[in-house]
Parts: sequence; structure tokens; C-alpha cells
Amino acid sequence: MSILTHKDDQVLIQGGPAGVNAARCMAEFRYLIGEPVNVPAFVYPPDAGKTVEVPYGTQYVSTPVYGTVTEAVKMHPEINTSLVYVGADRAGDAAVDALDAPNIRLVSMITESLPEKDARLLLKKARDTGKIFNGPSSIGILSGGESRLGVVGGNYENLVLGELYKSGSFGIVTKSGGMLNEIMWIVSMHGDGVSTAVGLGGDSFPGMTFVDCLELFEKDQGTHAVIMVGETGGTLEEEAACWYASEPRRIKIIGMVSGFCQEVLPKGMKFGHAGAKAGPKGEGAAEDKRKAFEHAGFLVPESFNEMGRMIADIHKDLINSGKVKVKKRRSAEKVRPLPKTVGQAVSDGDVLAEHMITSTICDERGEEPLYSGYPASELAAKGYQMEHVVGLLWLGRLLTSQEAAVVRRILILTADHGPCVSGALTTIIASSAGIPLAQSVAAGLLMIGPRFGGAVTDASKYFKYGVDENMEVEEFLAHMKEHVGPVPGIGHRVKSLSNPDKRVQSLLECVREQGFPTPVLDFALAVEKRTTRKKENLILNVDGAMGAVLTDMGFPPEALNGFFVLARTIGFTGHWLDQKRQGSRLIRMFKWLVRYATPGRRTVPPLESL
Amino acid sequence: MGKVVEGHSMNLMSKWGITTPRYVVSNSLEEFDTMSEKHPWLEDSRLVVKAHETIGGRGLLGLVKMCTDLNSTRDAIEDILSYDRDSITINQVIVEENVPHSRKREFYASVISRREGVELLLSPKGGVNVEKNWNSVRSLKISTGAAIDTRALEEFVGQAGFDYRFRSLLGEFLQRLLTMFDGEDATYLEINPFTILRGCKKVVALDAVLDLDESARFRHPDWKFGFSSGFGRSMSHAERSIQEIDEQVKGSVKFIELDGDTALLPAGGGASVFLADAVVRAGGTLANYAEYSGDPPDWAVAALTERVCAIKGIKRIIIGGAIANFTDVKKTFAGIIQGLRKVRSCGQLNESVSIWVRRGGPNEVEALREMGKIKDEGFRIQVFDRKTALTDIVDMAFAEEVV
Repeated sequence: MSILTHKDDQVLIQGGPAGVNAARCMAEFRYLIGEPVNVPAFVYPPDAGKTVEVPYGTQYVSTPVYGTVTEAVKMHPEINTSLVYVGADRAGDAAVDALDAPNIRLVSMITESLPEKDARLLLKKARDTGKIFNGPSSIGILSGGESRLGVVGGNYENLVLGELYKSGSFGIVTKSGGMLNEIMWIVSMHGDGVSTAVGLGGDSFPGMTFVDCLELFEKDQGTHAVIMVGETGGTLEEEAACWYASEPRRIKIIGMVSGFCQEVLPKGMKFGHAGAKAGPKGEGAAEDKRKAFEHAGFLVPESFNEMGRMIADIHKDLINSGKVKVKKRRSAEKVRPLPKTVGQAVSDGDVLAEHMITSTICDERGEEPLYSGYPASELAAKGYQMEHVVGLLWLGRLLTSQEAAVVRRILILTADHGPCVSGALTTIIASSAGIPLAQSVAAGLLMIGPRFGGAVTDASKYFKYGVDENMEVEEFLAHMKEHVGPVPGIGHRVKSLSNPDKRVQSLLECVREQGFPTPVLDFALAVEKRTTRKKENLILNVDGAMGAVLTDMGFPPEALNGFFVLARTIGFTGHWLDQKRQGSRLIRMFKWLVRYATPGRRTVPPLESL
Repeated sequence: MGKVVEGHSMNLMSKWGITTPRYVVSNSLEEFDTMSEKHPWLEDSRLVVKAHETIGGRGLLGLVKMCTDLNSTRDAIEDILSYDRDSITINQVIVEENVPHSRKREFYASVISRREGVELLLSPKGGVNVEKNWNSVRSLKISTGAAIDTRALEEFVGQAGFDYRFRSLLGEFLQRLLTMFDGEDATYLEINPFTILRGCKKVVALDAVLDLDESARFRHPDWKFGFSSGFGRSMSHAERSIQEIDEQVKGSVKFIELDGDTALLPAGGGASVFLADAVVRAGGTLANYAEYSGDPPDWAVAALTERVCAIKGIKRIIIGGAIANFTDVKKTFAGIIQGLRKVRSCGQLNESVSIWVRRGGPNEVEALREMGKIKDEGFRIQVFDRKTALTDIVDMAFAEEVV
């Protein structure tokens, strides 16, 4: 059957993230054996009042978190076991709290590096209260087919492989947590399975001794043999040998101990676990323990292979004597598979997931992002600039060097235009009000629209229309007058033929230098020629020039305001930083700049008179 | 547990009201000369020079020297710092005031941490020959949580064979030892010898061994010293570099250099010792002790792998481990593979070094497959899964040598 922990136990877990992980492991085991989750509560002061969602099959179980053990066991009096999964500086107090709870009879602590003094105090408290303290440094306790305390037993695949979902005839008790898992596997391969596996922990003063466990196994009629694995250091192994030899015992013991290599190691060297050190005069040496085992009548294997054979022999004897039935290995397919999360199922290729988003421009799944297929670091290493990134992410292709030069010129020419324009002014007002950078710059960008920076797209749209429809200039202007109004991209408040916009001149000069065909720009310039005959200030403005040439490069019209957004982000960020540097005071509108065209003071009439 | 060198032990004893000789610590003769100018008592007192290492039996090894004047003190310092035997190296000396006392007044006391409490040992026959007179040592067991009773201690002093006139004095002394032991989270405290000054009615602890519980450092902000290696030599650069990583990461990585033909890179504290035992049983010699456990990050495992595999003269490397509970085998193996490749890129790990791998645990199938693939890169590697017993790879590694 089992010792220490059983199917009906209800377990409190004291601990935060580590404790939650332990609960997940225990829930997996309960799912495997077809029992409900047996962790009714956590104790973890930082999260008191919250709930933890513990995965159980395809569902989640909401589990409350309390600030104290007292509160937890008051709300859940069925709790009879507690696990300690907090750090070494708090673990001692946590275990004391659990031992003080009337209904808790077993406390198991995984915490390593618990001070020896704290361990001694816990041992005393457990003795005084008649309870069981398991640990410190215990990996946990697992009863086959019944109960799992903590993370012992590995992941779900290991539980299935090791057939830990059913009970067996072999008890296991080890100091080392890793060896406990290993022996469970050996028992599964060569015997009929585990009754209970107990990790004592490798500290100098474990709460439970080998003798404590062996006495329980001796009383458990379902356990017929025990595999015991000890270590150099201390005397617990010798005490177990004395116990076994002191009177006839029902259970067989396979005993193994490590640490023979200590003879060739520097004297006093500590290795493995805290307790695994020979005393200054050689006390607790492995060879002495091995002799004690043999003298007491233990079966002492020379290797793990031999241990496996011993287990197989014992199992055969148990079958022949009728104490156990022949083992029937259940087909792995019949064991309840642990449901996968959707993410796991997709990555394992079990399901075809309907996608939510399709991206054609950036793939970050590898070591670095690919911009339309090109690795970012490789672009940088080969001299590509930000304008090429714009081409890859906005157009999906590499720009030619000529196109790149024009994009770079546009960004430079439009980065800023002083503090008075509406976008910069908005950013500055926000900055002076203490608004953070991102929000202030975003406020400035919100001003980009039909009358400020937003004409690029419209200009592109209509000039492109003119070219696509193969219109003559007069025909285009008549069309615009009838259907749209003023031509976007034409006209400036200040600049004119006799006072040209140097930004436009610079851009046009750059485009001519590159020498690629520009039908939309040519059309726009033809329009300008006509409109300036009517009025001198109806020139092609910077929005119009940008829109035309970018359209010639293949950028879709709806993308073109993006250039203004991108460029002005630099300017607005500059304005924000500038105001921050100067420690600007809050900006408020001066009253004399407002014409208050409002009625003078009036008497409010009684409501009922209306 | 961590051993504390003598100077720090004496500081702690002073803190708890236990009298110790005056002392200075020095790393060289030049440093001592500088200190002797600052501390006139060094010139005016008879001195004793000791190796400042946590080595047992320094007296019997000739690492404790009595000096009559400054010149013989300087000679003694030079002798001890040039000591180089039995793999023991001395990097530091402690020079103490040689408190005048009779050999007959060299007494022994120690406190030992036990499962049920502490054990107090006391003997009137201390000094270098305490072990020859071990039958004169008396023991008093004090249970956890029991109040320390001065009268009981005084009776114990009498039972141990001390003269009646010393009972009160030694009772108080033992009280202080026990209080210090508890207050400093000690695991072992040995005062050998201590003496009682003639006429002054004062107990002086002349020499001490102190082990503190490193696990309790969190509640001792005044422990501003490191702990000694505990086995007679300073840590090597490689050992220290791994210890520094160990202190930074979740989980644990450990490394100690030895001198042998077989390198060990085991997972888990329990399995590491079984694998070491198997190597010794097979007739091999250990080139190192190492261990990783508790799911450390892969870069830490890679660094440990580099240290282990770079050892000169190794014939085989055992990379073994039990079935892991929660350590991600794929992740730790990725660290190991990275470390193996790095060592190989430096010209080592050629065909003359065989590599043997056995492991199970979370993500074991992919992990073992990835480890097996590096055979194609020229590593002489054999990889086994959980169906192969833990230490079989050691037997195979040595069986291959015979062919």
C-alpha cells in the first residue's frame, strides 16, 4: 500500500512560484490516477487574498492563497499535510507554523541550505508534537497510484514511463533526490512498482531517518522490500543496519551507499550533499557502512545493474510465493494522456491553427528579425541605412541607391520646421506640462492632417490620377475645380516664384541627380507652371513634391503621410528634449490673445418661469 | 559548513567575550616587517608563527613555530611560506603573541553540532597530543532548546578532572563557548589548547578551529570573510571562477581540480558520487570533482564543461546523470555541447579522449539526439539513454581501454 502519504491526503503548499510549480506537478499526478486535485490552499503572504489557477487536465482549478497557516487551515480543516517551498531564510518559521497546526501531521520541506540550527529546532518540535518532519532538502514523497507530494517523480512522461500511476511492492528511501527518481525507474523496469518513495534529503540532520522509514515500511503489508541508498557521512545508515539486525524483519532490504572514492580525495572535502562528508577521524566512511549493511543481512549490490537483478529476483519470489500477482504492463495508449496546451499542440504539429494575423514584412522567429526576408544585422553589416529599412517594411523590397538617396533627402528636409507649426507647438505645450516623451510626441503627431503635413497623400492621389488618366494640365485643373477644389500640394502661404521654397528646390535637385524616370513629378511641375501664371504663390509645395516623387518610386499614396510622420517624429522629439533641458514652465494662453465675444453678465431667471 | 581561518575565529571569539592572544596576519615577510613597525608588541613579545590555513594538525606538520625574538620570527615566517609538501601550500601566516604558559596547562574543549543538540567535550590534557589522551576527554550532551545551566557546566568541569578552584572560571568559559556556538551558527568549535593564566584568573584560547554554517550567512551581516576550501590548499583560479558562477545562478555548479586520467561532469549531487566511486572501482583516477544540479542556466553548464574538458592529460570524460526530476536535460545538454565545442576549438578533445554520456529526464529524447549528433563533428562520443544503468558508461569507458 503506502506509507506517509495516501490518496485522501489534502495538502497545503507554503510558497510562491516554486510552490505553484509543485501544485502543478501534483495536479498532473492526480489527473494521471483519475483523482481530483488535492491542494486546497497556498500560504504565501505577498499574494494573500489572490487565487492561483492550477492546470488540471483541460481545466483550471482556482486555489486560494492565504497569508498564514492558521487562516488557511481554519478555512480548510481537511488539510493534513504541508509542503514548504520558501527560501532558506524563511523556511524554518514556515515549518514551525505548519507543525503548530493541529490537523497537519506531516510537513515536507524541499528547501536546501537550511541552517543546521533551524533543522535541529524543527526536529525537536516534530518530536515534541509527535508529528513527522521530512527534509530539509527533501525532493518529496511519492506513493505509487496514490499521492505525490511536491515535484518528485519528474515530468508527466516520466510518471507514465515509470508506471507510477499504480502501486507496487517496493519501497524506496534515499538521501539524494536525483537518486530517488533513478531508483523508481529501476524498480519500474525490474519489479512491479513503487509502494512509497521517500526522499530524506542530504543535509546533516534530516528530519526523518532511515530507521523511521523502515519501521513504517515494516508495518505496511503492501511493501515487501525496500531499496535504501545512503551516503558517506553521519551514522543513519549504521543505525538502519542495527535496526534490521536487532530482530527478524518481514521486509527485505537492498542497501547501497556511495562515497568510496573519498579515500582518494583531499581529507575533509565536502562533496555531493551537505551531510556527505567523513568526520575528521574517518567516521561515517562508505566502506564501514557497506560492511554494516552486509553484516546486518542487507542485500548489497555492486552496481545498479546488479540492483536491478536483485529487484527482479525478489519480484519473482513474491510471485512464486503468491504474495503478488504477475505484473501486467498497461499499454501506454491506455494511460490517460496529459492534455496539451494549444501552443504545445500547434508546435508539435497536432493541429492546424487558424491564424489571426498574417505578416509579410517581418519574421522574428529566428535569431533576429528578418525584414522582408533580410536579416537586420546583415543589412547593417553591409552598409544599408534606415531608408532601406523603410523600403523593406513599407514597400517590401530593397530600394535602388537612387531611390534611397531621395528618401534620405526627404527625411532630412522635413524633419522640422520650427516651434510655431501646430504639431511642434502641441508637443512643446505637452512637454511644458510634464507629459512624458512618447505621449508628447504622439500629441504632436495627432496634429498631422489635411492642413498640416497630411497633404502628401492627397497630392500623390490626385497627381497620380492625372497621369493615369493621361490628362492634359488644363483638363486636370478643370476636373479638380469641378470635383475637389484647390489642388493638394499646390500653393504656399509665403513661398512663391520670386521667393522659392528651398526645401522643394533641394529635393528636385536631388531627384534630377539620380536621373530615374519621374512621370508623376513631371506632371506636377507642369501643373505648377500653369497655376503660377494665375497666381505667383500657387507653386508646387513640399507636400506636393514629396507626394509626386514618392509615387514615382512606387510607394502607395496611403503610405506617403508616413514620411512626414517619420521625419517629424525626429523634430518633435527634439522639441520635447529641448524644453526638458530648459526646464520650461507650463505654457498657458495669454488673455489678451483671446477676443471674448461673449454676452456680458446676465441675471439667471427662475427655472419655473420658463 | 565552512571553515574559518584562525584570525577571523579569534575576532569572533573576542566578540563573545573569550580572550585570545594578540595577532597579525601577513602574506609576506615584507608585509610583516611593515606591521612590526606599527605594532610594538611584536618586538616586545615572544611570538608563535602559524600557517594561516584551515589545516588539521599544523603542529605535527611543523607549521607552528615558537620564536624567541624578531629575527627568529622572520625566519619562521619564511620557512612556513615556502612550505610545499603533501599538496599543501601556504599563502598566509598568522603571528600571535606567545602567551606564557606551562605545557601542563594546555587544556582541550570543543563543541560539536549533533542531531539532538550539541555535544560539549572537555579535557585537562590538551595540546598537540590530545588524541593520544582521548580517553581523558569527557562529553556533555545538551539537547536542542535546553537552557544552559552554569551549575551543570561547573559540575562537568569537575567530572572532567579539573581542580576545584577552576570550576567557576571554566564554567563561565564554557558558557561563553556555547553561547558563541549558538549565536554564530557554528557547526564545530575546537579550542586546543586553552590555558589559564597564572594568578590572573583568566582563560585564554590559544588556538581554535571554527566551522560556521554557510547556510546561515543571511542572518550574519558581520561575516565579511570568505570560507576556506577546507582541504588544505587555496582554491585554484578555475575553482574560484566556477564558485563565482555558482553564487550567481539558480541551481548549483561545482568544480574541484584533482590529478587523474578521468574527468567527471555529472548531474546531481547523488549521482556524482556514485560515478566517482565507479571510476575508482574501475581502476581509474579522478581528474576532478564536479557537479551541476537544480536546473542551472545553460551558460553556467557551458562554463563548467569548459573547465572540466580542458584538463590536461585526461583520457576519458564521463557525462552522467540520474533520471532528472525537473532539470531540463535538453537545456543543460545544450550548455555541455557548447562547452565541448569551445574546448575542441582550442585544440583539445581530439580522438584520444573518449566521451561517455548517460541521462534521462525532461526533454531527454531530443537532448540525447542532439548530443549524439556531435559525433559527426569528430567527437569520440557514446550516448546512452535511461535504459542503460547509471554507472555502466564508466565500465564501458574502461573496458574500451583494454581492447
